[in-house]
Amino acid sequence: MTDATLSSLKLRGDAFIAKRRRQLVVAAAVFAAVACLPLGIRDVYLQNVLILTLLYAAVSQSWNILGGYCGQISLGHALYFGIGAYAASVLYVNYDIVPWFGMVVGGVLSAILAVGLGFMTFRLKGHYFAIATLVIAEIGLVLVHNWDFVGGALGIQWPFGTDSIWTLQFARDKVPYFYFALGLLVVVWLVTYFIENSRWGFWWRAVKDDPEAAESLGVEVFRSKLAAAAVSAFFTAVGGGFYAAFVSYIDPESVMSFRFSLLFALPAVLGGIGTLWGAPLGAAILIPLTEITRSYLGGSGSGLDLIIYGALIMVVALAKPEGLLSLFTRKSGGKA
Amino acid sequence: MNRRELLLAASALPLVGLAGSASRAFAQGAPEVVIGVLYAMSGPSAQVGIDARHAFETAAEIINGSFDFDMPTAKAAGLQGLGGAKVRLVYADHQSDPQKGRAEAERLITQDKVTALIGCYQSAVSSTVSAVAERYGVPFLCADSSSPSLQRKKLKFFFRPAAQDEMFSAAMFDFFDAQKKKGKKIESVGLFYEDTIFGVDSSNVQRKLAAERGYKIAADIKYKSNSPSLSAEVQQLKSADPDVLMPSTYTTDAILLVKTMAELGYKPRNLVAQASGFSEQVTFDAVGDKLIGAISRASFSLDLAAKRPFIGKVNEMYKARSSRDLNDNSSRELMGLIILADAIDRAKATDGAKIRDALVATDIPGTRTIMPWARVHFNEEGQNPDASPVLLQYTGSKFVTIFPEDVAIAAAIWPMNG
Repeated sequence: MTDATLSSLKLRGDAFIAKRRRQLVVAAAVFAAVACLPLGIRDVYLQNVLILTLLYAAVSQSWNILGGYCGQISLGHALYFGIGAYAASVLYVNYDIVPWFGMVVGGVLSAILAVGLGFMTFRLKGHYFAIATLVIAEIGLVLVHNWDFVGGALGIQWPFGTDSIWTLQFARDKVPYFYFALGLLVVVWLVTYFIENSRWGFWWRAVKDDPEAAESLGVEVFRSKLAAAAVSAFFTAVGGGFYAAFVSYIDPESVMSFRFSLLFALPAVLGGIGTLWGAPLGAAILIPLTEITRSYLGGSGSGLDLIIYGALIMVVALAKPEGLLSLFTRKSGGKA
Repeated sequence: MNRRELLLAASALPLVGLAGSASRAFAQGAPEVVIGVLYAMSGPSAQVGIDARHAFETAAEIINGSFDFDMPTAKAAGLQGLGGAKVRLVYADHQSDPQKGRAEAERLITQDKVTALIGCYQSAVSSTVSAVAERYGVPFLCADSSSPSLQRKKLKFFFRPAAQDEMFSAAMFDFFDAQKKKGKKIESVGLFYEDTIFGVDSSNVQRKLAAERGYKIAADIKYKSNSPSLSAEVQQLKSADPDVLMPSTYTTDAILLVKTMAELGYKPRNLVAQASGFSEQVTFDAVGDKLIGAISRASFSLDLAAKRPFIGKVNEMYKARSSRDLNDNSSRELMGLIILADAIDRAKATDGAKIRDALVATDIPGTRTIMPWARVHFNEEGQNPDASPVLLQYTGSKFVTIFPEDVAIAAAIWPMNG
């Protein structure tokens, strides 16, 4: 009997390892295919849509680390995104420090802030936590609005420079931005992938399911949440720094307003919360849809683009509340 | 239709839009000049975009048709320099977002092959759009963003025929100086402004001008825009009691300010506003009875129609589309497109560099515009230095032009609350 149990456990373990490997192979194939896209898509407008899709996929995946895996729904991630954007901009425009470094500085600052705010807010549960994050992000917005050192309401304009990978400034070429955004997504995806199978990953999911039960089994709930918040904030801020370099102008409204917080949560929620592919899938549907409908239907002023956008979210919420990814996983789940 | 079919149908809709725009591009027969128009067509500023659309359509009608107005491009049908080519406008929605404005400007340039761009109302969006225009060598006519910071980048393809905030505020202080000479009492001013780019920029200029011209700043109050209450701020104003209250506020805040002043029994001796909230009809519909004698700067005044009758006719054409009179914004937008079309006409080409040269060479006397401007020409920063603003005073039923004196039709009532 023990032999049978052991071998069945071993089989399940083998199946699990095979599944993990398969995920990695699928990821390599998907990312390689995406990397080839600029070869076929030469139009700068469509390249722009691709870049935004990859960026929001990466940032939404970062949000997913805290919101999806650890179950702490944040509606204030615009704060970290803004810190990244401002750190990169201030360091580059005022001190000539390359944005690569500025992004990391923004990321570290955000991670520290996330831990600090976590001490105050992680004792709140469910909706109370979500509201706290929302309010804190709004406070951040007001502070930046009134902080003259970072440009206040006037924002920061990046100077025109020659094309350079160091300063991440390219006058017309979009391809370098594309590969940066793709690189960021790959890194965040890999981090998520490895964490998923680590002790932290299991702890986070335990915290999400039932914090009390997790605590009784020896999970350090509070520290788990802090770690998830720090990782999530770090990558969100890197995304913000990239956004500032990409747009080359930021002001408080255009990087820290509440709609960004929603925009980071939405792809993950749409695609499938707490999954490896949910956020990228959600972004791949949501971002091209909003961009393209706005561009080709928005000029009329009829608001048709926003109606389609809203309708899609409602359809998904009603038909697939667990996210679009379930369309795919159900099939493979049936096999196993 | 099940849910999945509905989802498919919804996702197919944008493709239909794509196909539509592609077939439009192929269907062009007559020579035409395509101009990209960038405004917020959805979101909180959508009304500005909708009004702008009516203004641009009116301008295009004037350019493409034949009208007996003493304005550039009006008499002949189409652009004579390009064999009677017609102007076609392509609209894009930037939703007040600098990133979206930038992306849309790139799309208009690369996909719709626009000859020039015009826009964008929000200064932050004009900032990114002007950068794209510069990088692609496509002229950008900034019709109605008034932040002075836009021209300081010294872009080659940026042109602004209308006044910017420094010029607007300078007109106010010119008016104070003139009143002082007439023996009226103006010693102190009170600045009251919202905390976004508009209010902050405006107050920076006013603070500087007050210091330069020897007016005491009795109050300097920044408030959070869309605030639920302004009681504390109005108390401060009341105790400071400046000779002139100078608000820079959007519409909802302007209404709240006036209501709160009435509740707390504060009657400013004079009120001279940086347009915006104090030039919107909505404000005067709501609290006009408390604003008799209030003065606001403006880019436009229908009073001019008495001197230049074609302004009245242009206004009728606009009104037929939008069922409202031309205002500060729509007049600048309409005139902006005509100035741009005139330059394209003179350039005899749709090439960006040639249109730029024609814009640099622009010299139109103010009397050939619908604006109170002295002249239209551009300095090395692309700014028209002679876009003279006017000051309007609310008389209880309408606005009358009171400054500068050459276009004024009435003397200012000063002080408004004695």
